[in-house]
Amino acid sequence: MSALDIARKDFAAARRSRSLWVVATLLGLLTTVIAFSFSSYRTPPTETFVQLFQTMGNVFGLLLPIVALVVSYMSIAGERESGGLKFLLGLPNTRRDVFLGKVASRLTVVTAGVVFMIVTATAMAVARHGVLPLSVVVGTFVVSLLYTAVFVGIAVALSAAVAERSRAIAASVGAYFLLVLVYVIPGVNVAQIVRFVHQTLFGFEPNVDLYNTVLYTSPLIAYRKAMNLVVPSDAQRQVLERASETDTLPGYLGDEVSLVVFAVWLVVPLVIGYLRFEEADL
Amino acid sequence: MEAIRADGLTKRFGEVVAVDGLDLTIEEGEVFGFLGPNGAGKSTTINLLLDFIRPTEGSVEVLGIDAQQNPAAIRRRVGVLPEGYGFDDPLTGREYLEWAIRTKRADDDPDDLLDLVGLADDAGRLAGEYSKGMQQRLAFAIALADDPDLLILDEPTTGLDPNGIQQLRSVVRERAERGTTVFFSSHILSEVEAVCDRVGVMNEGELVAVDSIDNLRERAGGAATVRLTCSTPPTGLDIESLSGVEQTTVEDRTLIVDCATPAVKVDVVTHVAWRVNVENIVSETVSLEALFNDLTGGGRDDASAPEVPQ
Repeated sequence: MSALDIARKDFAAARRSRSLWVVATLLGLLTTVIAFSFSSYRTPPTETFVQLFQTMGNVFGLLLPIVALVVSYMSIAGERESGGLKFLLGLPNTRRDVFLGKVASRLTVVTAGVVFMIVTATAMAVARHGVLPLSVVVGTFVVSLLYTAVFVGIAVALSAAVAERSRAIAASVGAYFLLVLVYVIPGVNVAQIVRFVHQTLFGFEPNVDLYNTVLYTSPLIAYRKAMNLVVPSDAQRQVLERASETDTLPGYLGDEVSLVVFAVWLVVPLVIGYLRFEEADL
Repeated sequence: MEAIRADGLTKRFGEVVAVDGLDLTIEEGEVFGFLGPNGAGKSTTINLLLDFIRPTEGSVEVLGIDAQQNPAAIRRRVGVLPEGYGFDDPLTGREYLEWAIRTKRADDDPDDLLDLVGLADDAGRLAGEYSKGMQQRLAFAIALADDPDLLILDEPTTGLDPNGIQQLRSVVRERAERGTTVFFSSHILSEVEAVCDRVGVMNEGELVAVDSIDNLRERAGGAATVRLTCSTPPTGLDIESLSGVEQTTVEDRTLIVDCATPAVKVDVVTHVAWRVNVENIVSETVSLEALFNDLTGGGRDDASAPEVPQ
């Protein structure tokens, strides 16, 4: 597998990147500090632990996409701009090998990062509270990794589709804005916007499920829903709005569907990015 | 069999025609010089051979394999020294070379190759920190790995010192003797002259000449020049009456005579020596640079001279 050779070389280079180590250290420090300072009034240790990981999830929701995009946005555009691609493709590699190799190595890098963050947070939480709900830890890790992988895929795909560093940066910032930021900026509420367009502009009857469906296309919302899958049911949070307190969400807005949202975001950008790269004049 | 075969190969970038209907056949075992000024379409052609870019029209085969259909199969048998490459990963020269050898599934000893290109002492340094010439040596070593059937060298002497150029030439010659086909691009004619069996000259996307250096020289004809420094101003010698003399110029005590063929120079010298005292003779064969300029529209000195304001 030539893709594996490319991934190995890429990973070897990443391991030597000093800035990557600095970032990893800072992230580890951040999770340690959060885990240390988190406390709940009069809640049992296990519950506190779960709440801590939910808080961690909120932080990860904003942070992990940045980590993934920063690690990956230059993966192919950088090689194209610097001329590294001339060697990659001058040797017996196909464009598919290059693409897959880059995806594999950047996934490995972010996996290491997520492992590190989870391990530091867990270590501090165990030291503070003396309990270790393993399923919550492992579950948070798996869900967070999936979420990060989505953004690695998006960033590598964007990187493969553009020819220059500057455009790769712009595309990554744009992706973060569209897929994450607009869902958390106070005052800019995607659900409100959709509601406004649907009801006020087009004059339809209110349809909460529709607004929820639009929201659910965001990987961030999917991540929040997916976190419900890994915590005990009494700790689960209401991510999407319901028409009334007693109303239950339709099946297609259930927590499990988040995995489908992840899968679509993982596959579609990668396929488009790969096809663009395959056709490009390099 | 043909090492490279281009049929009507055309590449347009928007309005710009980088390569225009290129027909070119290079036989196996040949050392082919691919000449042309910067921007003539040499690198575009090479990028088409390697499927870095796709042709607008026409097709190209390398070692009998269609470049668009199976680039990986071509890359397995070709060694490439590309143009505009970069070593931007924090890897040492040796690590880069080892990666190339591994990717080619070859069993070369990295030390042998590093030694061959004169990088043995610097193999442990980061390739990104190498000078241009050292990077060029490393790129050459990568091209040589796995003893490819075809070497494609795009401006391989760029950045090399004279010693490095010598080394490169001798390696190219040695590989060619073992049967490797070499495709050697350059904008400097003298470099190609020393190693190539045949040259092709590109200009503005078109192949304007393909021939051996000797034939090209002959084709360019004339313009063999002899300069005679005499003790008195050599005027009124009636040199124009000699057959084969194309033009004479007198500068102070120096007589400059352009001849149709090198043999005419002997007649000129004999003619002049009978009449005045000749102190020095400088003979210039047809300048390949002039020939090159001629083919690529740069204009020969004598043609452009009248236009230069005095």
